[in-house]
Amino acid sequence: MHGVIIMATVKINGKEITVQDNTLILDAARDAGFEIPTFCYQADLMGIGSCRMCLVEIEGQKKLQPSCITPVLHGMSINTETPTVISARASMLEFLLANHALDCPVCDKGGECELQDMVYKYGPHKGRHAEKKFKFQEKDYALSPVIIKNSNRCVQCQKCVRVCAEVVGANVLGALGRGDHQEETSFFRHFLDCDQDGNCIEVCPVGCFMRLPYRYRTRPWDLKGADTVCPYCGTGCRMVIEHRDGVLIRSKAQLGVGLNSETLCARGRFGCDFASSTERLKTPLIRRGGSLEPASWEEALGYIKEHIPVNIGNKMGGIASPRLTNEELYLFQKLLRDIFGSPNLDSTARWEPEATEGFIKATGMDEGGVSVFDCMESDSVLVIGSHLSDENPVTDYIVRRIKNTRRMSLIIASPREMKLDSSATIKLRHSPGREAAVLDAIALAVNAGKPSPAEGAALKDAKIEDLIASAGVTKGAVEQIAQRLLAANSIAIIAGMEFLRHPEGIPELGLLKEALKSSGKKVLVMPALDRANQRGAWEMGVHPAFGPGYGPVKDKGLGCAGMLEAANRGDLDMMYIAGADVAAMHPDEEFTRKALLKLKLLVVQDIFLSETAKLAHVVLPGSSFAEKEGTFTNQEGRAQIIRKLLPPPGKAKRDLDVIRAVGEVYDPSFGPKMPVLVLDEIRNAAGMYAHVSLAFNNKRNTENKLDNRHALVQGSATSALSVTRFSAATTEPEGRFHLTTGNHLFHSGRFSRRSGTLLGLLSAAVVEISEKDAASLNLKSGDKVKVKGRHYEAILSLKTKKGSKEGVAFIAENYDDVPVNRFFKKGEPAPRVDITKVTY
Amino acid sequence: MEKVLLKNLGKPDSHRIENYIANGGYRALEAALKLKPDNIVQMVKDSGLRGRGGAGFSTGLKWSFIPKDPTIPKYLCCNADEGEPGTFKDRGIIDNDPHLLVEGMAIASYAIGAANSYIYIRGEFAFGADRLEAAIKEATEKGYLGNNIQGSGFSHNMYVHKGFGAYICGEETALLESIEGYRGQPRKKPPFPALSGLYAKPTVINNVETLACIPAIIEKGPKWFSSMGPEKSPGPKIYCVSGHVKKPGLYELPMGTTVRDLIFNHCGGMLKNRELKAVIPGGVSAPMLTTRDLDTPLDFDSLAAKGSMLGSGAVIVMDESTCMVKMALIINRFFSHESCGKCTPCRDGTPWLTNILKRIEGGQGRQGDVELLESLCTNIFGRTFCPLGDGAVMALRGALKNFRDEFQYHIDHKKCMAS
Amino acid sequence: MLSERAKKEIEAALRKYPNRKSAVMDALRAAQKDKGHIAKDDMDEIASILEMRSVEVNAAAAFYTMYNVDRPVGKYHIQVCRNISCSLLGAEHLIKHMERALSIKTGETTPDKRFTLSTVECLGSCGTAPMMQINDDYHENLTEAKIDELLKKLE
Ligand SMILES: Cc1cc2nc3c(=O)[nH]c(=O)nc-3n(C[C@H](O)[C@H](O)[C@H](O)COP(=O)(O)O)c2cc1C
Ligand code: SF4
Ligand code: FES
Repeated sequence: MHGVIIMATVKINGKEITVQDNTLILDAARDAGFEIPTFCYQADLMGIGSCRMCLVEIEGQKKLQPSCITPVLHGMSINTETPTVISARASMLEFLLANHALDCPVCDKGGECELQDMVYKYGPHKGRHAEKKFKFQEKDYALSPVIIKNSNRCVQCQKCVRVCAEVVGANVLGALGRGDHQEETSFFRHFLDCDQDGNCIEVCPVGCFMRLPYRYRTRPWDLKGADTVCPYCGTGCRMVIEHRDGVLIRSKAQLGVGLNSETLCARGRFGCDFASSTERLKTPLIRRGGSLEPASWEEALGYIKEHIPVNIGNKMGGIASPRLTNEELYLFQKLLRDIFGSPNLDSTARWEPEATEGFIKATGMDEGGVSVFDCMESDSVLVIGSHLSDENPVTDYIVRRIKNTRRMSLIIASPREMKLDSSATIKLRHSPGREAAVLDAIALAVNAGKPSPAEGAALKDAKIEDLIASAGVTKGAVEQIAQRLLAANSIAIIAGMEFLRHPEGIPELGLLKEALKSSGKKVLVMPALDRANQRGAWEMGVHPAFGPGYGPVKDKGLGCAGMLEAANRGDLDMMYIAGADVAAMHPDEEFTRKALLKLKLLVVQDIFLSETAKLAHVVLPGSSFAEKEGTFTNQEGRAQIIRKLLPPPGKAKRDLDVIRAVGEVYDPSFGPKMPVLVLDEIRNAAGMYAHVSLAFNNKRNTENKLDNRHALVQGSATSALSVTRFSAATTEPEGRFHLTTGNHLFHSGRFSRRSGTLLGLLSAAVVEISEKDAASLNLKSGDKVKVKGRHYEAILSLKTKKGSKEGVAFIAENYDDVPVNRFFKKGEPAPRVDITKVTY
Repeated sequence: MEKVLLKNLGKPDSHRIENYIANGGYRALEAALKLKPDNIVQMVKDSGLRGRGGAGFSTGLKWSFIPKDPTIPKYLCCNADEGEPGTFKDRGIIDNDPHLLVEGMAIASYAIGAANSYIYIRGEFAFGADRLEAAIKEATEKGYLGNNIQGSGFSHNMYVHKGFGAYICGEETALLESIEGYRGQPRKKPPFPALSGLYAKPTVINNVETLACIPAIIEKGPKWFSSMGPEKSPGPKIYCVSGHVKKPGLYELPMGTTVRDLIFNHCGGMLKNRELKAVIPGGVSAPMLTTRDLDTPLDFDSLAAKGSMLGSGAVIVMDESTCMVKMALIINRFFSHESCGKCTPCRDGTPWLTNILKRIEGGQGRQGDVELLESLCTNIFGRTFCPLGDGAVMALRGALKNFRDEFQYHIDHKKCMAS
Repeated sequence: MLSERAKKEIEAALRKYPNRKSAVMDALRAAQKDKGHIAKDDMDEIASILEMRSVEVNAAAAFYTMYNVDRPVGKYHIQVCRNISCSLLGAEHLIKHMERALSIKTGETTPDKRFTLSTVECLGSCGTAPMMQINDDYHENLTEAKIDELLKKLE
């Protein structure tokens, strides 16, 4: 019943409060300011009421009741502090301690253990248990390269198993055995084949699930922390990063904070050690006689001043990474546009600027932020063009978790099988790159074969049969999807990066949205982005076609590909590349290197000596997310603060300071010094940010739980975007498999490779094909295979997926030793490859 | 008394459908299918039938909670887990008269509008499970199950689901979890199974004996049923008698038969004519009675008034030679073995009790152990997730209350008073 | 590897339920029939047939005491009830007797892998106590002599 909220008035410890009917007693009591201890309760998991810590007395009921699963009833009178309740709490702790290892001095959790804290506060202060304890194991055992376990300390709250099944969807932990022999562990304690996200560790209240990389390295009280945002994907998870003696030791999520609450993925939880990598750049470098030599900042800046005249205009280009903060990106475009007078700006080496512009328009980013929670309130949610489970793991968790608790339909269209499929109402396996045909087919089916007015001309001559054939799907499946969409009053579309790889789909995305809207449905579109601040980069105007807030620019410039071509032709002399590894990520590596080498001056600002930096004339050492302040805007359009934990290493500087220093070489008044002042300028320049509030950061926002709408950007009043139609891509005629690329679950772009822990999870690239294809080629998971394309071949190990589309091969783009961009060739159709077994 | 539930026991090939029909079987189903489902629910309500699985809840009332919406699928589950030590009545019916259960279930399913039903039978009853599967097959062939039963338009399929060794699966929500393929740990209530049970659909769970009463209620009428035994818990009842009596076994008698009548008249008295020491009237969860309570009628309310319960109707008789510490240990060991592991007080409390009892029984008792046992009982009772933990405490408290000095003797003298 | 018979049984079980997971208990039972216990790879195989994760199959198996998870038992699995009614009528004696007759302790298997002796909680046969179960069959109203005779027959 939407809209109708029934309230209930209850008394808690004599205090009268009014809450929504069906509120749990626990939540009501906590809201009213009373403390109730819990182990098994977690807001985002389904209540099981098993630990019995939260028992309360309800007047008129003989037995104590678990407040974590008992909703209030109007008129109830509840007591949380009677002698019986207090003694019940102490007795539960006594029972839990009866079989607990009691080895706190050697336990990694010591100092931040919920059991310790609770016994201190509520527990029995005398032990009566004098029987022999049951031991699950003698020694701690590793469950993965990042998880180590001691079952003797378990309190059986089962949060590990529940988070693994209900939120992560991996389902690789189980409660084995029963009674006091029940143990939450993996199949025969084998190593876990899972997401390795360590959410089991995070939810564990005691030292039962522990992080292996953290083992015996410190005590929690020796750590200093900073609240920040994960630097990896566009989901924008909030986290706390902590260091000891200047070394970043761990990152963790916090219950009830940020949209992710207590969850993170493997990258976020284990991948932040890149910041303390020994490979970090610590000093500026200047190319002298063929090699890069350390230099001072004065020398480096002097070198730049010597080579780049002010107002060089078109001869100059800039690329800034979507991992920089909004403040840095804003200053970067200001530097390029206002100081150098160059319109050539981009934030990605991977996509065409027309594609990104169209995608922004089609997903309505210029219309303001769209919360993922609002999307999940819809009757029907369509995920298309995104391998969400790997690209945006925590978005995948949110979708799964909410889908489990609501009546709604979840439709997933993707060539590759993904973990979220198991929650899908309908899954559609289409041919890679055929999102356009899929969307058109759905749009036609929604309108019973005829284009709606919104689609008008675009689909006038389209026949559903042709579309279905081109998409490689069945008519039945498309019709089923259409039925679900028709039955829904509200629809959300989550559209991912595949639209940028295959931009033909972009206009159709806009069309379907309009068609659904014109048939009276409420439609939300949310982009799923793979870089932490990709959306911010666009909104700051780091794009050749628009300025801050998607506003118009005087002259349109070149995007990354255009700049490289111009460089190759000799029309572009200089580039300033901040944080982007163009040489590694731009399709057609050979051409890219050639073009970059033709530049008269290449300035690269980075934290590692990337493939691109190796080609530079000047290298400026910047900072990681852990060493600066600023904001990121996630894929939803949620602006969030990142905070500084450590100083940049050596002579490295905050990126904002680097960009400003370059600007000041030409104009001493360039750019405000402080990130907050830059933000003020952004609020002015990009109206979308005028009212964004950052006040909520890292506080549990009880009012609307995990969803802080005040942080969402508004619509742009100056938006000047247009959608370009791309003609359908062709693929090479030969080769059995269509090659697709993207991020691996454990990696993001190239820099996650600098995380020793993530490399430990999967050190070499794999090629993934469907189980059926593998069977017909007589191959199985783990086999060494040769992947051969026209321009490149690589030896990889094979991974098979049960439900993937046949004829599709996937290689993650994150590995140096398999530069997937070598399979691609400028101006040629998308590559196909053959896969054969390698025998030694 | 004319037997209703055990009437076919001992007859040759009583499990075959021909014989069942020859004895008047399936007439009740035929009659029921001509009635409106609501009428049947009303008849069962009027009969006063209370669940024979242990809790004694009104069966008709339970059925009436099922939503009427015909578009929602519904389920009936028969609880044939029969795990309460001392109990073997359901097995008696299943092995010897499976069609009585099938007929009762078909009628119940029609009454609540269930198109499918499951019989959850404990894994050890392999023989009974085969019998039930054969009976379902026979009944389907004869048109008492399956599509369009007897031309009534009502269709129903019945399946046997086999447990595999877990007492807790007798608890109705654990039973549902088990059918769904999970570990048998109880679910939180609400939602109650009547609204969201098996596969989250409205579900009725009834004991075998409860369902076996249904055909007779249809045929002979609710009045006939309610006129038997005490007004508030009427009807025939199967008592399972075991332990130190001359003739242990199943006895179908009117509800409210006294302990004395049952042991000394029907069961031929005490084995070896020894003195009676204690009687457990309703399975091991039920606190024991002593010689003082021999005239207590065995029905729900009278036993509750004595601080015990009818439970499953399993009457376990112990003579003067019995060591009560040992009995307490055996019973408690059972509960800690069967504790599902879900909730703290039962999972960690019952094994603690067992360890203490083991020590006392083995001559290693310490002063203060009895008080510790009592204190732990207080800490467990009423705080567990499901009634299993409570059952463990009730049994132990019963023993401690009636035989406290025997426990203390064990501690003081490191040996048993009774031997 | 599951036998063809076991696979057929699983197929049949799948027809009883609206979801695949529900068939897990029947599947495990079918697997156990093959060799008296359930091995790790049986669970993997069941998981793939029922579209579950192996650990979910294991969780189900390890909850129910009649599944011999990764625990081979002899050709004849003797399970003696030691709960209250049987105990009242001498179950402990009979267990000791059997330990002597088979020269093994409770919980062990004879070296020739013919007999495994276990104790179990109530088997629902209290009116005919003491009793035990050998594989699927109940043996009731036991005495030492009756047991000797039974064991002889099985040799
Ligand atoms: C731990 C526990 C074990 C139970 N075991 C059984 C059982 O084996 N058989 C049974 O019929 N009811 C058993 N019950 C009772 C059931 O939960 C449920 O009340 C009963 O099946 C309902 O059927 P009825 O209304 O026909 O009695 C058990 C309850 C608990 C708490
Ligand atoms: S009382 Fe708790 S541990 Fe015991 S069986 Fe019930 S739910 Fe499981
Ligand atoms: S928090 Fe309520 S029972 Fe665990």
